[in-house]
Amino acid sequence: MLNVVKEQIGSILSIRLSGAIEESTNLEKLLGPPAPEMHIHCKEVSRINSVGVKLWIKYFQDAQSRGSKLKFSECSTAIVEQINLISNFIANGVVESIFVPFSCGKCRSELVGLFKTEDLKKVKFKLPTLKCSKCTGPATFDDIPEEYFAFLMR
Amino acid sequence: MNNILLLISARPEDEAFAAEVAAVAALTCRVARSPEEGAEIIASDSPRVILADASDEECYSDLEAAIQEKVGLFSDKIDANAIHFITSQNLEKVPYLIQSPLFGHFIFRNYGNPKEAGAQYGRLVLATIQERAFGLEKLLQENAKIQTVKLQSTVQKQGAVEAIKNYLLAAKFQSRMASVIANAVDEILMNAMFDAPVDDIGRPLFASVSRSTAMKLEGRHAVEISVGFDGRYVGLTAVDSFGSLDKAKLLSHISKVYTEEEYKVKTSVAGAGIGLATVFRSGGSFFFSSESRHRTEVTVFFKRTDSFREFKDQFRFISTQFYF
Repeated sequence: MLNVVKEQIGSILSIRLSGAIEESTNLEKLLGPPAPEMHIHCKEVSRINSVGVKLWIKYFQDAQSRGSKLKFSECSTAIVEQINLISNFIANGVVESIFVPFSCGKCRSELVGLFKTEDLKKVKFKLPTLKCSKCTGPATFDDIPEEYFAFLMR
Repeated sequence: MNNILLLISARPEDEAFAAEVAAVAALTCRVARSPEEGAEIIASDSPRVILADASDEECYSDLEAAIQEKVGLFSDKIDANAIHFITSQNLEKVPYLIQSPLFGHFIFRNYGNPKEAGAQYGRLVLATIQERAFGLEKLLQENAKIQTVKLQSTVQKQGAVEAIKNYLLAAKFQSRMASVIANAVDEILMNAMFDAPVDDIGRPLFASVSRSTAMKLEGRHAVEISVGFDGRYVGLTAVDSFGSLDKAKLLSHISKVYTEEEYKVKTSVAGAGIGLATVFRSGGSFFFSSESRHRTEVTVFFKRTDSFREFKDQFRFISTQFYF
C-alpha cells in the first residue's frame, strides 16, 4: 500500500511517497491532478510491481504531456532499478538524487547512502568506502556499477 | 532415447558444467566438439538431453544445419523439451534462439562455479526427463522445506507476497533480495490469477480485467503458491489448472527490453507485460512446465548470496517444458 504526503511550497507540489506501488495504487486519486511543478521524493518506496510501473508511467506521462516539470529525489533502490530498466519511467523528468546501496564487509549489514546524480557523474561513479554505522567496518558499493548507474551513463 | 547427455561445445567451462548436470541427472555425459559431430551422435545414439553452445548466430545456424542434414529438424529424435542452449549473452541479444523451433531451454553462461551451477541445473534436468516435470520438491535439494498455500481470492495476493518476504528475511536474505523475490512472487501469482484463465477455445478470460479486481479463486480458478528453501536456493512455484501457457508469447515478453525503446502503456489490456522480464533481469531463473489444458507450474529460483552484487549476477536460466 502506498502512502502519500503532499505539501505545496510556493508553486511547487512536493510529494513524499512511502510503501509499495502495485495494482491497487490509484495515483490519480492519491496525487491529484498534475501540478505545474512536482518534486517527487521516493525514499520510502520499497517495491513496485509491473502493474505499478504501468500506472506510474501513465500518471507521469500524462503530467508531462500537460506541461508539468518533474523532479525525482531520494530515489530508493527499487525506483532506481525501474529507471534503469525502462527508458521512459521518469517521463523526461530530472533525477536529482538517488540512494546507493552499500554492504558492510565485516557485519554484512545493508546500508544506503544518498548521492546527488551530478556528484556521481563528477566522480565517474567511483564511490568511496564508507564506515558501517553499526560496526564501523568498511562498507562498499553493493551492486553492479554498469547496471545501477546505467541511466546516468546513457 | 538413451540415457545420454550430449554436450555440443568446445568450451572447457561447459564441459565442467555438463559433467555435473549429467551426474545429478544420472545420465552418461558425451561431448561433441563440433555441430557435425553432435548431429552424428544424435542420429546414432538418440541422447535424452542435449546441451549445445549457441553463443552466436553462426554457431546456432551451424548446429541447426547439421541437425537438419543428419537427423531432420522435425525428427522424433529432436524434442525442444530436451534441448538446452548455452550462451554468454543475455536473452535479448539472442533473438535467433527465441525464434528457433528447437528452443526449449536457455542457459546464461555466468556459471560462477560450473560444478555448483551444474548441480542446481542437474536437478531440473532430472525432473524434465521424468514423465511430468511438476512439483517444486523435484527442483530443490532433498532437505528443502516446502510450504504450500492455496489462495481463495485475488485480494489475498498482497498478503501472500508480504508473508513470503518476511519468510525470506527470517531466512537471512538481505532485505533488497527479499523485495526482489517478493516482486517475483507477485508477478507469477498475478499471471496465474489473471492471465492463465482461458475459455474452452483458449481465449483469455480476464485480459482486460483490472488486476486490482477482487475475485474468488474457486474450482479451476484455484491458484497455489509453494515456497521451498534448501539453505542455498529458494524456489517459488505458482500453479494454475488451465495449462494455457503460450511459448512464443512468453518468450516475447521475457526477452523484451525497454532501455532503448519506450514502454508504451496499452489501455486495452490490464496487464503490463514486463513482470517476468524484470524478474529475470534481477537475477531470477525460471522453469515453466505446462500441460495443455490441464496445469501450468511457473517456478522462479534465486540463490541466497552474501552480497546483492552476486545476487544480481548469479547463474541463471529460462527453461520450458510443454506437454501436449
